[in-house]
Amino acid sequence: MSHANDRLFDHKLAREWKLKKSRAEKDKVMDLKEAIATFVEDGDSIIETGFAYVRGPLAAYWEIGRQKKKNLVGIFTPGGLNSVWHENGGMEGAHVAYVGVEMRGLISPFRRGVENGTLKIYSEWSHGGLALALRAAEQGLNFVACKSMLGTDIIKSNPYIKVVDDPWTGEPVCLVPAIYPDLAIFHVHHADKFGNSRIWGVSVNDTAIAIAARKVVVTCERIVGSEDIRSNPHQVIIPHYCVDAVCEVPYGAWPGDMPGLYYFDRRLQERVVREFWKTPEGTKEWIEKYIYGTENHYEMIAMAAEEENMHVLDYVKRLEQLACEAAYYNLGYWGVGGERDWRYEEVAKKAI
Amino acid sequence: MSEIEYTPRELLACVAARMIQDGESVFVGTGLPLVGALLAQKLHAPNMMAIYESGTIDPKPAQLPWSVSDPWTCHKAAIILSMTSVFGHSRAGYADVGFLGGAQIDMYGNINATCIGPYDKPMVRLTGSGGANDIASLCRKVIFMGLHLPQRFPERCDYITTPGFLGGPGEREKAGLVGGGPWRVLSHLGVMGFDEETCRMKLISYHPGVTPEVIQEFTGFEMIIPDDVVETPKPTAEELRILREEVDPNKLFVF
Repeated sequence: MSHANDRLFDHKLAREWKLKKSRAEKDKVMDLKEAIATFVEDGDSIIETGFAYVRGPLAAYWEIGRQKKKNLVGIFTPGGLNSVWHENGGMEGAHVAYVGVEMRGLISPFRRGVENGTLKIYSEWSHGGLALALRAAEQGLNFVACKSMLGTDIIKSNPYIKVVDDPWTGEPVCLVPAIYPDLAIFHVHHADKFGNSRIWGVSVNDTAIAIAARKVVVTCERIVGSEDIRSNPHQVIIPHYCVDAVCEVPYGAWPGDMPGLYYFDRRLQERVVREFWKTPEGTKEWIEKYIYGTENHYEMIAMAAEEENMHVLDYVKRLEQLACEAAYYNLGYWGVGGERDWRYEEVAKKAI
Repeated sequence: MSEIEYTPRELLACVAARMIQDGESVFVGTGLPLVGALLAQKLHAPNMMAIYESGTIDPKPAQLPWSVSDPWTCHKAAIILSMTSVFGHSRAGYADVGFLGGAQIDMYGNINATCIGPYDKPMVRLTGSGGANDIASLCRKVIFMGLHLPQRFPERCDYITTPGFLGGPGEREKAGLVGGGPWRVLSHLGVMGFDEETCRMKLISYHPGVTPEVIQEFTGFEMIIPDDVVETPKPTAEELRILREEVDPNKLFVF
């Protein structure tokens, strides 16, 4: 098997793979465990989707940890939560545009791994540069010429990009090649069983990523009818033909944010990145307790609620109410079919 | 008249707000830059337009967003696009001001957000560029906000993540950069700009209670200190009222 980096810019391989994907609308619904077991292979490059902790497929990431996948290569634009797996062999290296949680700081395991040399950085990017590499793949371009990253040390720490003179103007331009990650996992608001996926809020790079990646797993808050999705194609960001698996995972972005549904648990995130993950020992304990010590996402949520001395339903309700204030009632972008028609109670009954 | 009382962060928010002119489009990061931008909008720049790298343009958030991708950044936005589009619009000429932070800024306004120490074996690994490199490469002008300490204001950054004037005059053009580069530096000690001839950082004003000597002492290179440096004007009662009552009433960022 080739190294993930050898596949990353191989447009022929990417095309051959996609030529073989079925265009038929087939039922792709499966359990999250099955989807991760089937589509996440050791050594895969995995690109982050959404915008870090906003609409990030965190339930799927935790499941990757549970299944002890090995030697993944992260593509962080932005994000980096998966770097937590490197200390138990889950991630060997990364291509980086941004790893962190903004005001809440750096992600300690990533920092540690780079500083002690156990997590390799294969290439350095700007957000715009990496976004263009994905866009190039989506648009069928070998590369794009852009005006980012010029003159900086990023050029020196990225073996994939080149600076050349624009043949028309003679000015330096930065060439960014089309990138084809092995795997992308998305978390969306609604999907139909074929994989057509709809969101509210920012799509960031998701449409480009869905086309660029070889394997695509969609987790969603709710599986809805295809007619519902097709009643408003404007909100669809991922079309069915690139999707390999659809998993219904309510609260799948927890403890991150799902626009209009639930707000991120800011306190928990701060505790995780600043305290639990601060040392290798702490990280190991956290993984043992929260990942290996839980059967699924909902046990993890229940555990977090318990630590807040809250009943899990009250805990989730609090996050939903914050979202209500922040997004649900007031946002103009809550569109067709957007009635929230489920509650954590139902999910909990099913899952726990 | 009794002396108006304010905190250091309130001063920074007000000074940041004054740097934004009416009608400008501004790439805002979370925290103080965002507070400054929203304050400017409520004071003298009602037509200020915010751009977020996550893809939203010109929203009217009714509550302070916690992050550049917080759903509040979508509230009543003019449009929501992809990341490549917002940077594309910047290249096209629709972005005026970029508000950035970082671990280090050097005498030519280059910013480091990647690592402290050598890149291959860093003492501290930082976040990496995010959108900062794109913003500083493409916007008309850049404002940097950060703590003023000698190691954070070195002569040369350990790693240039985000381009300032690179090695000096003419280097941005030579590198092919289209944006205008660094314009202002706002630290907890003062406001700096850049000398037109040498492209080196120069002092414009020192905050109340600070002197040019203190600023030099907390700077890792020789700061140009012109004769006409002044004290940064204190926040006005009106600025503080809007800031406290309307922009950040819950004291999320300004306390």
